[in-house]
Amino acid sequence: MTGAVFAIEGACLTLGRFSLRAIDLELDAGEIMVLLGPNGAGKSVCLEMIAGFHRPTSGRILIHGREVTSLPPERRRVGLVFQNFGLFPHFTVAGNVSLGLHARRRVGRAQATRGVGELLAQFGIAHLSDRYPQDLSPGEKQRVALARGLAAQPDLFLFDEPFSALDARTRDALRDELKTFLRQSGAPAIFVSHDQTDAALLADRVAVMNRGEILQIGAVPEVFRKPVNAFVAEFTGMENILAGRVLGQSGDLWRVQVADTVLYAQGDDLAGNDASLCIRAEEVGLSVTDREGSLGLHGATNRLAGTVTDTTSLGVISRVTVDCGFALVAYLTDRNVRELGLSSGREVVAEIEVGSIHLLRRDAKDCVALSQERQGAGAVLIPQPWRSAAKGRA
Amino acid sequence: MRKAPARPNGVVLAFWLVGSLLLAFILAPLIGLATVQSPASLARVAAMPDVRVAIGLSLLAAFLTTAWAALLGVPLAYVLARTEFRGKEIVAAIVDLPLAVPHTVAGIALLIVFGRQGWIGGPAGEVLGLRFWGTLAGVVVGMLFVSAPYAVNAARIGFEAVDPRLEKVARTLGMGPWRVLAEITLPLAWRSIMTGLTLTYARAISEFAAVAILAYYPMTAPVKIYELFLQSGLDEASGMALLLLVVSLALFILFRHIARRGADFASVGR
Repeated sequence: MTGAVFAIEGACLTLGRFSLRAIDLELDAGEIMVLLGPNGAGKSVCLEMIAGFHRPTSGRILIHGREVTSLPPERRRVGLVFQNFGLFPHFTVAGNVSLGLHARRRVGRAQATRGVGELLAQFGIAHLSDRYPQDLSPGEKQRVALARGLAAQPDLFLFDEPFSALDARTRDALRDELKTFLRQSGAPAIFVSHDQTDAALLADRVAVMNRGEILQIGAVPEVFRKPVNAFVAEFTGMENILAGRVLGQSGDLWRVQVADTVLYAQGDDLAGNDASLCIRAEEVGLSVTDREGSLGLHGATNRLAGTVTDTTSLGVISRVTVDCGFALVAYLTDRNVRELGLSSGREVVAEIEVGSIHLLRRDAKDCVALSQERQGAGAVLIPQPWRSAAKGRA
Repeated sequence: MRKAPARPNGVVLAFWLVGSLLLAFILAPLIGLATVQSPASLARVAAMPDVRVAIGLSLLAAFLTTAWAALLGVPLAYVLARTEFRGKEIVAAIVDLPLAVPHTVAGIALLIVFGRQGWIGGPAGEVLGLRFWGTLAGVVVGMLFVSAPYAVNAARIGFEAVDPRLEKVARTLGMGPWRVLAEITLPLAWRSIMTGLTLTYARAISEFAAVAILAYYPMTAPVKIYELFLQSGLDEASGMALLLLVVSLALFILFRHIARRGADFASVGR
């Protein structure tokens, strides 16, 4: 028995050729977990297993310490929200909410009407009571879906990519609203997404999935900065994954050679191994002053000479590629790019703090996984928030 | 959501031209049938008691057929729409089989199975006292065989158009599977089911061969028309034909209207 509000313990599931392997998750009250992964990673299957549509072949699922592993969905007290919010098109807004209200409980007619009224008022949609879902905006649909879900008094909310069909601006607004709602409701929530922005903005913790396995669970900064392998690094928008060779230790820092340059980084025991250096592009600084001044390790900062090969504005942020003997990507504000006068051919010094480099032991399996996942993963290279900003501007 | 009318292009115009030939081909005989009749001869045919009985029997038998098709076909359609299993394509092909079998062949085959010594006809007669040869039950069996595919296929399309995620949401709200079927799936598939049953009804009324072989008597309208044609010639036969046409078309239009009355929820729900 665990103290968590919700727990999956070692759940395995096989569906045709697909299988979920040893899924372990725990959520505390009010916690929001984002299950992040590419299409086909098994996120939705995992969610449907939690909701009760697939029964795990082994392992168990607990809600408030109550084992629900073999209960049908209608007895699990789990709220589910799908893409487009899954409103029943043949019921009005009030009808949808009222279904949530008495589907599980025997509620008198007068009491039900009052309950529906209160819920609609709580979500600020009382004026929509007699409308049908097809006449609602996405924001209104989300509120109806949440009101309906809440009416059934769930112990856990599940969201399966509810925003994936929406434009970036609407998505941002609805995400904020959803977060506020979940914070107030106090019910834990699992939110499935393939969009790292959802994870960055919603999650207390994120779980990265691929091929039916959870690869890493942790707080967002931890997972985004210290991925456990190349796949997680790639999928969470790590722009710089550099192949390096560990030369040795000096003090508590590792000396790692990348192309012809030596970088200093912190890390665990890596002696004698090849390593991947993960550096988030927003952690790379560029300067154009005292170029010849102090290259190499300077305080806790690596300073590398390089030449700008490309600058691409993504709207408010620019993606600058620098050739330092290897390609290094940096994100700068457009204003920074202007002030530094960065353009192709410009010579710069790239600055990377020792602590911003995450060393990954590189084994063959990772390399294969990475090269396979890279195909078709191009969209991942530009992080979502900046892409949507670029869109908003255009 | 209404689409703006597309600007007509060469392909569309040419195809309209070709398509109207088919429309004319369908309408011409029916209009011809209507115009050769004098009101007097129509009234005379309509007054014949056995003509009225035959038309009434056709309507009744087609109604019973539709009810059976709904009762047996809609569940099968649901299974075909909602589940994956080995041999599903074979099951679907079996459903379509009556469309491919010539109706005289169907009549003979039905007679063999539902006749006095048939696998079904024999025991049914002994145990239940139910006979198919020359009875209303036989008429319904003949009609059901040839018209059931329409009910199953339309309902299947209707069920397939209902987003399974809506059913899942309903389950998590606390509804059991039967309640989800009654409150979510059936209402959303209703229009397709009704369209299928309308076609079933229309196809049942129009069946001649299978019914004539299994149950020549009691006479349904198409059989009676055939008999009039053989005995009294084209005039009386065409009078009754027009009568049947008017009655069945009126019912067809009425049913279609009822089927379409509910808004098309399934498509907007996606």
